[in-house]
Amino acid sequence: MSAVMSRTARLRHPVAGTLAVAGYVVMIVPILFVVATAFTAGSTLRFPPDGLSLRWFGEAVAYTPFMEAVVSSLQLAVLATGLALLLGVPVTLAIHRGKIPGKGLLEGLFLSPLVVPELVVGLALYQQLMIGLRLDNFTTLLLGHTALLLPYAVRVTGASLALADPALEEAARGLGASPLRAFVTVTLPMLRPGLISAGLLGFVTSFNNVPLSLLLQTRDFRTLPVTMLDYVQQSYDPMVAAASTLVLAATVVVAIVAERTVGFAKIFGGINR
Amino acid sequence: MTTPAAELVGVSQRFGSFTAVDSIDLQIPRGRLTTLLGPSGCGKTTTLRMLAGYSAPTSGRILIDGDDATRLPPEKRNLGMVFQSYALFPHMTVADNVAYGPKMRKVPAAERRRRAGEALELVGLAHLADRKPKQLSGGQQQRVALARAIAIRPRLLLLDEPLSNLDARLRVQMRAEIRRIQSETGLTVVLVTHDQDEALEMSDEMVLMRSGKIVQSGAPRDVFPAPADRFVAEFLGYENFLTLADGRQAAVRPEHLRVLPADTSAATSADGGIVLDAVVLDVAYRGVDLLVTLEATDPAGNAVRLLADHRADTATGPTPSAGDRVRLLAPEARLAHLSADSTAAPTAPTTAPTASTAPTEGIS
Ligand SMILES: Nc1ncnc2c1ncn2[C@@H]1O[C@H](COP(=O)(O)OP(=O)(O)OP(=O)(O)O)[C@@H](O)[C@H]1O
Ligand SMILES: [Mg+2]
Repeated sequence: MSAVMSRTARLRHPVAGTLAVAGYVVMIVPILFVVATAFTAGSTLRFPPDGLSLRWFGEAVAYTPFMEAVVSSLQLAVLATGLALLLGVPVTLAIHRGKIPGKGLLEGLFLSPLVVPELVVGLALYQQLMIGLRLDNFTTLLLGHTALLLPYAVRVTGASLALADPALEEAARGLGASPLRAFVTVTLPMLRPGLISAGLLGFVTSFNNVPLSLLLQTRDFRTLPVTMLDYVQQSYDPMVAAASTLVLAATVVVAIVAERTVGFAKIFGGINR
Repeated sequence: MTTPAAELVGVSQRFGSFTAVDSIDLQIPRGRLTTLLGPSGCGKTTTLRMLAGYSAPTSGRILIDGDDATRLPPEKRNLGMVFQSYALFPHMTVADNVAYGPKMRKVPAAERRRRAGEALELVGLAHLADRKPKQLSGGQQQRVALARAIAIRPRLLLLDEPLSNLDARLRVQMRAEIRRIQSETGLTVVLVTHDQDEALEMSDEMVLMRSGKIVQSGAPRDVFPAPADRFVAEFLGYENFLTLADGRQAAVRPEHLRVLPADTSAATSADGGIVLDAVVLDVAYRGVDLLVTLEATDPAGNAVRLLADHRADTATGPTPSAGDRVRLLAPEARLAHLSADSTAAPTAPTTAPTASTAPTEGIS
């Protein structure tokens, strides 16, 4: 509802409209530059590109550090998202349906990673887990990413739950469902759009994360963004642009799937509670 | 006497320091329709929720079919609850909603479908079985909720303000509809409402609540002419309150106060009613009748403002107009003697001189 209102407001209001267009330009134009340079036939990262070829895509796919990093990033993102949902859903249920005192505090606690700078979190994790507890770097990164995604999981699934009538679960119980069956047959279907949204959002956030991954990287486990960052520092060829374009294409595919399954309005409506 | 379908024994519910339901004793007669009636916030929903098992009483016991059910979770009570919001499962079809209860009871699929069909038939919605709840009108959703609750063959059917979300016409239709379903199925029904007309029309037994306590209960025919105290009287639409010569309080309805010419002899009151001299303050035309506002002195000598419905077609004497001096007759049979104490019997005489300061509570 508020999304619709702000959209019409934006269209009507000339200043807001101009700002919105400017916002899209600032966001989209650099992406277009990157995509364009990725198709160059030349060997420098330059716009406009020298000729047209798919050469750098081939190079990017054949470049082992990138491909290894993709696998690492995917592993990390999938696991961290899964963990965040596994932890986040019970927390959401406790906040929205539980009869526990201090709900506000609990909610605050689980949303705090949103406001604490990631570098601080990363440093804390580095000192406590890697140095203090001698956890390996993948476990530490996984914990760090999970913490990073938890607020999204709690917030987005919470938004779905807040929309659902609490009497639904009570009705299910009254009709003979145990608490667990009521959860599986009634609450979970209500949570589905929230779970999908939170999952996608979490996955993308983890996959693109730089600060935490940068702090907690080691030689044998590096995520894609960190690897690309390293690469850019050493050489300036269009392979990075090609890699970025591939990531972008994958993201677009995910976005389309998301739109088809739950719809963007729902996903982002879920966040602006 | 058979065991009541359900019974509350000294049941209280406290939320922090606030007592929402205060040690009530209540028996729900089997196969009857009992209404819980009272103003907003008096604890009706809280009582129903304790009966259904959604919240445990702070103290007291709940018996269902004579067995202690105080600690039984809702899924083990086998009660059919219809929520005010209907609470239909939005991701299931109407048929699946209604079959949900039997499914949880592990009834085989074919039998489930048959029972759901039967319940939908009962509420007249068999043709909408494949719709989703969102595609139904409010009244239809309400019937589905009813069918869903009936499909589990519940020991009691609990309805929390089932008609409050419907428009006025539909509400009146559904009163009869719920009564029909009740008598066809022989179910024991507990219905929560804050509408006295609804309660009067539908109940076998009505239970009036106020501030977490039961003030009066009984069949509408017994309760309506004899409200226990001023609160109940006001809630049931009594507008006029008098203090009698002996200090007792009495209430009379506007339609029972007769406006007579000033020279009517006091002998008219041979039937034992009260005759008061009054001045007409205002006359409002209402179609079927005139609403006459009067000022009078009651038998105890207090100035009181009274309302009388004057029906030109049945009333004797001239039509009153503002400024007229008239005589008012309140027939004895129409006087409801009130008790100052909410818990006392309706006709118990009150000697307390404070009767005229009986509590007046806002009613919604
Ligand atoms: N969970 C709760 N926590 C605290 N107070 C509550 C809670 N539930 C109900 N109350 C309070 O208890 C009182 C009785 O509430 P209840 O819902 O039973 O009223 P009701 O008679 O059903 O009113 P209405 O006609 O408005 O539905 C109210 O004052 C309400 O504010
Ligand atoms: Mg209520």
